[in-house]
Amino acid sequence: MSPIGKHDYDLVVIGGGSGGLACSKEAAQLGQKVAVLDYVEPSAKGTKWGLGGTCVNVGCIPKKLMHQAALLGTAVKDAQKYGWQISGTVSHDWSTMAEAVQNYVKSLNWGHRVQLQDKKVTYLNLKGTLVDKHTIRGLSKAGKETILTAKNIVLATGGRPKYPSNVPGAVEHGITSDDIFWLKKSPGKTLVVGASYVALECAGFLTGIGLNTTVMVRSIALRGFDQQMAGLVTDYMESYGTRFEWKSVPTRVERLSSGALKVTWTNTQTGCEHSDTFDSVLWAVGRSPETKALGLDKVGVQISKETGKVIVGADESSSVPNIYAFGDIGEGRPELTPTAIKAGRLLAHRLAGRSSELMNYDNVATTVFTPLEYGCVGLSEVEAERRHGKDGIEVYHAFYKPLEFTVSQRDSSQCYIKVICEREGNQKILGLHFLGPNAGEVLQGFSLALQCGATYPQLTRTVGIHPTSAEELMKVNITKRSGLDPTVTGC
Amino acid sequence: MRRARKPSQSKLKKEIREMAHRLLIRRVWTLSVKDIRCLPSSAATISSSSFSTSLQSPPSRVSLLSPPRTLPRTLHQISRREVSFNVQDNEDFTERVINSQLPVLVDFHAQWCGPCKILGPRLEKAIAKQKGRVAMAKVDIDEHTDLAIEYGVSAVPTVIAMRGGDVVDHFVGIKDDDELDSFVSKVIGQ
Repeated sequence: MSPIGKHDYDLVVIGGGSGGLACSKEAAQLGQKVAVLDYVEPSAKGTKWGLGGTCVNVGCIPKKLMHQAALLGTAVKDAQKYGWQISGTVSHDWSTMAEAVQNYVKSLNWGHRVQLQDKKVTYLNLKGTLVDKHTIRGLSKAGKETILTAKNIVLATGGRPKYPSNVPGAVEHGITSDDIFWLKKSPGKTLVVGASYVALECAGFLTGIGLNTTVMVRSIALRGFDQQMAGLVTDYMESYGTRFEWKSVPTRVERLSSGALKVTWTNTQTGCEHSDTFDSVLWAVGRSPETKALGLDKVGVQISKETGKVIVGADESSSVPNIYAFGDIGEGRPELTPTAIKAGRLLAHRLAGRSSELMNYDNVATTVFTPLEYGCVGLSEVEAERRHGKDGIEVYHAFYKPLEFTVSQRDSSQCYIKVICEREGNQKILGLHFLGPNAGEVLQGFSLALQCGATYPQLTRTVGIHPTSAEELMKVNITKRSGLDPTVTGC
Repeated sequence: MRRARKPSQSKLKKEIREMAHRLLIRRVWTLSVKDIRCLPSSAATISSSSFSTSLQSPPSRVSLLSPPRTLPRTLHQISRREVSFNVQDNEDFTERVINSQLPVLVDFHAQWCGPCKILGPRLEKAIAKQKGRVAMAKVDIDEHTDLAIEYGVSAVPTVIAMRGGDVVDHFVGIKDDDELDSFVSKVIGQ
């Protein structure tokens, strides 16, 4: 704790998202006097939300719920093959889903408020800016100013979706992930521009609930992910009903007298111009960190020229000794909730002088919640090759068919597993990739295995649970090197 | 959906004490209103000169607080027309709940709370049975988050019973019609 009377707070956290809340609550529990500032600047369309950050309000939570809504649509179709008598056509009502999702998110906003109160963290709905390395200026919505001083300052302001800078009509007529989950009415026929996981997940659930959806990809899908797996993900989406415009870039968006949006684009491969009308245009072309309005240059906190993110050390420290940054605004950090939460808690422990443990950002498992889910942990094949050489790795793979797909006669062409191991030594597993239903649930246990340094022999010695899709991971034995057909046959 | 949680007895008592403590801040000019109401009866018992000086100050206090003079009449009208109402803002809460002549049940609820939708109509029924002897103030915790936090609400529905600006009772979660009737009767003081 700081000497009495020196600063208002031991710790002030700017940002009430996954990272900021975890850090502030942990610090308060360790006896620190903590305040958290959270403020949501409305989106260009005017959408705003409560406490909890991106994950709770415009990310993970509403995304997963809408993904579930879409999966249920597919399940209803499958159900008939399993004997369910469903009369008439089954249709989806956006408003019912949106209201239910929005209500749940609001309950989380409240829950977070109560938690801060319980843990004795001062909550301030103010937009925070650094005045000097111990002083923060908080601005309320009404423009009222509050000054706070703190021994330590933590920046966890996260990011916001980018709009394209060179497409006339983009801002006036388009929406982003900040808006889609809060729409009261269906977005209708939608163009999703981008091929990040945000773009593909949104396009995926929009298709799943029955909307005419097109994805416009400039170059590649799921940049940063294993590209073979990314290809299978988009193959599935195409067969599932999502349209793709590959190697295309939008040039302008105009509103027609009918109210519909006319989008004109160029196919960069053919050079041809095309256009079509949509009800909504969703920009998913990247996110930028919320560091511009923090006053970082005034205080000397260095940011990356390329990304705008705060340059941080292994202990989340910035270039200014008592100022820290983590979560989505940390340069080189994964943009994930669980890593932000864990990093925040460890940081709180270090700031309270209770430990020196650093956050381990290696082997963090993730899942892309596209219609056919893709879960992975560890290295991509290309990265493993880069580090160990093509001859230094062995890639085991298999195409499998989930049992549930059989009766419902669903195409399992993209249900695929890849296990990348070191070729020599104890054949340590370097990366694990699973494409199939419930990928997130399947993969979680395997991330523990990687954390423990699991090897290929250990994997094959572990007996699978039958009948599941997960057991196929224990049974992989065909190598890419062999050139043999990796399709799993029967029991 | 937030499920109703039953706090422990000692935590309940602590929360009521803390609530009462916070109310002191709100009640600064409420006290003045009360003094004016009490004054005629206390004036009858006054004999010492020290009290006669205090008798001189009330008139100035009364003039400062002339709006409250009209309050009892307005409240009476409200109690006849609006036994159950939605709280608009902090001032509204102070005026219609803390300064209410009637006992008031404060129903903290949320749009996303299923049990709240069940309790709401039951409360209305229980209040209506009392024919104007008790009022109900409805507070949407998403619209009035600070107020809800101030009153220590964590789970919803939470119902707080207030009489003369004091918290006299409360409960969390759903109650059936009979339980509500006895709760309301107790609050009125029957």
